[in-house]
Amino acid sequence: MGHETSNPKRDASRRLFDSSFAVICLLLSSLVAVILVVMIVGIFYQGAGWLSPTFMTHGHRENVPEQSGIWQALVGSFVICVICAAFAIPVGIGTAVFLEEFKPRNSLLKWFHGVVQINISNLAGVPSIVYGILGVTAFVYMFGWFGVIQTDSPPNLEFGIEYRYQVKTLGGEYVTFACDDKTVQTTEIRESITAENKDGKPFELKVLAKGTPRPKEKAELNQAVFEGKSASITSRKKFYYMHLPFHKSVLAAGLTLALVILPIVIIASQEALRAVPNSLREAAFGLGATQWQVVRGTVIPSATPGIMTGAILAMSRAIGEAAPLIAVMGATISTTLGLTNMMDQSPTLPVIIYRWAQDDNRDYEGLSAAAIIVLLALLLVMNSVAVLIRYRAEKNKG
Amino acid sequence: MTIVENTRHRVVRSRKIMSTENTLSDKSVQRPADQPVESAGSLKSAIEIENFNAYYGDFQALHNINLQIPEKRVTAFIGPSGCGKSTLLRWINRMNDVVAAARAEGRIRIGDIDVLGRSTNVVDLRRHVGIVFQKPTPFPKSIYDNIAYGPRLHFKISAAELDDLVEWSLKKAALWEEVKNRLHQSAMGLSGGQQQRLCIARAIAVGPQILLMDEPCSALDPASTARVEDLIFELREQFTIVIVTHNMHQAARVSDRTAFFFQGDIVEDGVTDQVFTKPKKKQTEDYVTGKFG
Repeated sequence: MGHETSNPKRDASRRLFDSSFAVICLLLSSLVAVILVVMIVGIFYQGAGWLSPTFMTHGHRENVPEQSGIWQALVGSFVICVICAAFAIPVGIGTAVFLEEFKPRNSLLKWFHGVVQINISNLAGVPSIVYGILGVTAFVYMFGWFGVIQTDSPPNLEFGIEYRYQVKTLGGEYVTFACDDKTVQTTEIRESITAENKDGKPFELKVLAKGTPRPKEKAELNQAVFEGKSASITSRKKFYYMHLPFHKSVLAAGLTLALVILPIVIIASQEALRAVPNSLREAAFGLGATQWQVVRGTVIPSATPGIMTGAILAMSRAIGEAAPLIAVMGATISTTLGLTNMMDQSPTLPVIIYRWAQDDNRDYEGLSAAAIIVLLALLLVMNSVAVLIRYRAEKNKG
Repeated sequence: MTIVENTRHRVVRSRKIMSTENTLSDKSVQRPADQPVESAGSLKSAIEIENFNAYYGDFQALHNINLQIPEKRVTAFIGPSGCGKSTLLRWINRMNDVVAAARAEGRIRIGDIDVLGRSTNVVDLRRHVGIVFQKPTPFPKSIYDNIAYGPRLHFKISAAELDDLVEWSLKKAALWEEVKNRLHQSAMGLSGGQQQRLCIARAIAVGPQILLMDEPCSALDPASTARVEDLIFELREQFTIVIVTHNMHQAARVSDRTAFFFQGDIVEDGVTDQVFTKPKKKQTEDYVTGKFG
């Protein structure tokens, strides 16, 4: 200090710059806050009025905004998130454990280790639409390995489904009977067969020659058809119905989202594992634990809060993704039957927000804002859970 | 809780497990605390180290070490930082396996176990050779689960036997009286000294013959250090103890034999009194009198 020649003018200008710098920083950071506030206020202004029980419990209806809602989208987002988590979390933790806990000595394995690590770091930065295209190739069409699904013919490889022919009896009731060849769309009834009525009760379906008078009794009418009556194919799907390739389905969408968040889960888990003090591993090894016992009994329990936090944050990323879903499933806004199995398409929250926002009927913009409020609330809940887990873990450490 | 309450009225230790480990039986108390000075030849060796070299990558940490560590005595490794004493200790139960660049040549024998052998069962070796580290490393579990961790890995035992074993181990480590009413509380709540004694209890719970201690008191306050030293003194009746220490007073207080390491060589080893009072080598004398190190 003593060496400096004092220059009061220069000191003053430095002090002025210093204080104005702080003001500039404050202004810039308040700009961010203002943007956030404007966004939230705007969304609430537009959307809050549309929030209602109807909105939460109904699906989309064309041109009836008062009757439209997000129920199908909520179910779709939930199912896709569950599929996504069921795939991404175990695979992510497994990869992180491999990368962090099994440091290889063998040079080939070391090379593989390095390749995986570099890949993951790069994958985390890939835009999600790219994953969407990957999902289309890998899950929707499965590289064409299992043939292509056409709209007018059933998939070659499928299970959890039963095909039957359906026919309208003279009494006007629909009954079904067994189908041998699912590729034959219609068949003509020539002789009596065993059929099932709509309650699933088997009975003998009588075939009447053309020209015979109609039976008088209602019960008889419902057990008879005229010869040559044509029956068309129908199917009963179980809840676990699957086909290969997955085609445009929530399963394909969930797996694609899992690819999107996998690098996030891996990196978060790696960080959680790295935060486990090495002394704990050494203590367990020193007691004669095997590598598996060390990982399972000591490392993973200590890393669980960190892994959970990472997984939840990754899921909150997944729930807000629209681009890969549109690539994989199309921008579905509603389905007639809703989600009955994992091969169905379904709207999701981000996609329904996207569709409503561009609807010609301007009222749907308000619905879109209301759906955003629900999505933001969901994200807030998920992030709070993550914070809570971290907080409790830190408290337990002390 | 009820299991724990019962334990207090039960036999001190589980005969079934302990009887297989003769080194843990009480009859091994052989000599008074003030024993006459022994010569190395009169003692049975627990650990025999021959022509041992250790490396970290290209760096040779230990040069051609030959050392006999006697059974049921405390052997101290002393020497300045970086002299290789911890390296040798960590090779005795192959803790250095987890260090990627570490490798070793030569022979270490413990009974009929060839420690460095490729086919040696490391898990079994570590059961026989326990280790206590510089910093207390309790698992973030209850006190009870900390002690039970090792036995659960190695033995199939009933809950009652495990209770006995936990009590026995804690008593051996002079911790029982302090923790018997809070066995199911987190071990993280114990003081540093208590945590270190917990780690010693945890190590002896799996029934080792040898206990390796890597500067076990360097993170403890003087009062806790004194308690751990007392404990080491008592444990020596049943275990072969090897202790690495920076504290020469500690080495003088607790050990029967001392090996002085310098730059990867053993300069001198012998009965502790002799090493400290009549060292044969000039370097040893300089070190123990505090001229360097």
